Amino acid sequence: MNRYLPRSARTYLALATILALTGAVTGCGPGGGGDSGDGKNLTMWTFKQSHVAALQKAAESFKQKTGIGVTVEAITPDDAFIARTQAAAQTRSLPDVFEVHTNGDDFTFGAAGLLEDLTEEATWTDRYLPSVAAEGTVTERYFKQSQEKGAKSAGIKLNQRFSVPLTIGTFGIVYANKERLTAAGITESPKTWEDFVAALAAVQKARPQDGGLSIGFQAPTTGMEWLMQPMAYGKLGKAGFTGLFSNDPARNWTSANGRSVLDSYNQVTPYWMPGTQTLTIDDADLAFAQGRSSFVVGGTFTLAFLSQNGMNTENIVTFPVPSPKGGAVPELSLAPFALTGLSVSATTKNKDGAVKWLEHLAQTDVASQFAKDALDIPPVDLGGDPTGNLGPVLGAMIGSFGSGADAYNPGDTTHQPPSYDAAVVARSLMELTPLKKADVPTAAAGVQKIIDGYWSGK
Amino acid sequence: MTTDVPTSLGAATVTRGRTGRGRGHRRRYQGREVAWAYAFVAPAIVLFAVMGVYTLFWGLQLSFVQWNGLTPTWLWVGLRNYTDLLWASPVFSPPVRAAALNTVWVMIAAPLLTVAISFPLALALNRARRFVGLLRSVYFVPYITTGIAVYLAWQYVLEPNGAINTLLGALGLGSLSQPQGWLGNPDTALPTLIVIMVWSAVPVATLLYLTGLQTIDPALTEAAQIDGASWWRVNLSVVWPLLRGITAVILLLNLRDALQGFQIFLIMTDGGPGDHTNVLGLQTYRLAFQSELAPTLGLASALGWMLFVAAVVVAFVNLRVTRER
Repeated sequence: MNRYLPRSARTYLALATILALTGAVTGCGPGGGGDSGDGKNLTMWTFKQSHVAALQKAAESFKQKTGIGVTVEAITPDDAFIARTQAAAQTRSLPDVFEVHTNGDDFTFGAAGLLEDLTEEATWTDRYLPSVAAEGTVTERYFKQSQEKGAKSAGIKLNQRFSVPLTIGTFGIVYANKERLTAAGITESPKTWEDFVAALAAVQKARPQDGGLSIGFQAPTTGMEWLMQPMAYGKLGKAGFTGLFSNDPARNWTSANGRSVLDSYNQVTPYWMPGTQTLTIDDADLAFAQGRSSFVVGGTFTLAFLSQNGMNTENIVTFPVPSPKGGAVPELSLAPFALTGLSVSATTKNKDGAVKWLEHLAQTDVASQFAKDALDIPPVDLGGDPTGNLGPVLGAMIGSFGSGADAYNPGDTTHQPPSYDAAVVARSLMELTPLKKADVPTAAAGVQKIIDGYWSGK
Repeated sequence: MTTDVPTSLGAATVTRGRTGRGRGHRRRYQGREVAWAYAFVAPAIVLFAVMGVYTLFWGLQLSFVQWNGLTPTWLWVGLRNYTDLLWASPVFSPPVRAAALNTVWVMIAAPLLTVAISFPLALALNRARRFVGLLRSVYFVPYITTGIAVYLAWQYVLEPNGAINTLLGALGLGSLSQPQGWLGNPDTALPTLIVIMVWSAVPVATLLYLTGLQTIDPALTEAAQIDGASWWRVNLSVVWPLLRGITAVILLLNLRDALQGFQIFLIMTDGGPGDHTNVLGLQTYRLAFQSELAPTLGLASALGWMLFVAAVVVAFVNLRVTRER
């Protein structure tokens, strides 16, 4: 066929073929999604599917106000988000704005030079709740942590700000089926760990088929970080709790303190929903929403999923994971922290527009609407009556937040060794419960061996 | 017709075939024609250079560095990634050793079970006289439907209230059921996944054996039967040796899947419960993408290269063993 083409056409054909193939293999061709916007419109990546519609709604009002459009793209699950970001970092095709895990991804991305330092630009932080206003900023503790050998955030500088909060909340909230709790004779939320275990036993006895506790152990950190750690904080207090993660045998998991915490945690073993060790977080929540379990442990963010999957929110009782009797913190509360934040890419062609978008989302009316649409808690100070703005369930959850030394803050990870990977530790802990393959001393030794490895920096 | 192919474009000299118009005629390509040749070959060379050579060497280089995929530079650590994975690191080497043990079990069980099931199945299908097309289609269904949807369907079948436990209960074999589900019990999770891998692999293996069976001269089996050999003796002593080459291919394909494949483990258990179904392929994936942005991409690459070397060794041993017999 080639010989029927004129010479010039053949030349163009050959060149087009070469360019097309070269473009394809280098990934530099036009239309490769995810690159920074055109300087006017913005692109934004999020790893939270439940935030997309709410962000798009906020983007409509932003466009009316500024003329700048925002295209929101969800990339899930988390490992796909990470892989996409890694690839985009190498090809410099990052979006203008990221939703990030606060005090985690933002510091790692910032250390890699992928994010703008927002210290100067973030002038609206007084709109946030005081307890979370500084989140996303490199404080003394995070800076010190970044200088440890093997730290993920090595390279960040003191007082840099890489994100502003978008959603706040906490882990360690137990959701219980109100009707089943009442039917089993439990009319008040458990106030102690022992009460909680007794409630589990009562509902399990009344409903052997579906009376159990579900948690998404396929993400093994859920059991450890959402259930055991709040209880451990209540039992030991802040100093005792942080000591568990040290390499000091008198304070860590192999100490009397550590074994005592694991003993208490092991008390829930008979009450797990059958097969909970195979469930993802969504599966575990779904089991609760569909009535296949009577309790689920999650965070403030769990409510949105339960509601979206048909659970009647009026049939839910929520309470923080309680402290054991005689614990160092008898009235354990949960401190809110910034779960996710907003960061501006260092490659954006419209930094001003991106910063305006961040500021727009921090306006009280926009944040309230976002919260209602996403069923998530905003970081913005909504005044003394959040119920009026957000409705009774979200409002009540905000009302239950605590502060000070008696409040457990799951977002504070400064006591952990550098390069600590909670999933590795949590998989080891699963041998104790729910798998029942190890006793308390063996499980304690297994966990401590991994933590010692992180401290050694190897 | 024969044509002498030039050894290099640079020589640009070709002897046309001995028949036809160009018989005995030698001509030198013009510069423009050589340029055209280069232009048309260039895309393939660029593609191979980028997708093959560049990525190969880049990946090898990656195995000697510490990097999280984000920073513009990486830290050269030499062979430390390899030693950390094998023995030096108390954090990274224990899960690799546990995953290696699981991988070995899969490498032993999956190929052997596949052969043990597919060979008799192929013999049976080869003897079938009715509904041959239907039967072959039915047995091929697992292959064409294998994928995420089927793995998710298997999850439902295997859960505590799933079809298998229900069936066992209905048959009065409730004591064999798994209250935590077949994937929830650390003792049954890995064997269950192996069974599903075999279920997925049997169709292709059966097809290969069927192809082989149809190439065997019937005179050979008839001669054995005339000599008094039973059906079992014919198949074991005549047919099986003749299909040794196909068995080698099946073993090799399944060994490769067992060594490097991790899709089923990622989707169905993500290595759980705990770490009881973690395999080396999945551990590589975890180090690359599930380590919370820790700088472990180099470790993932190093593990990938060790898997590559293991795969080459296994293939070599497999070919040697089957050739010697």
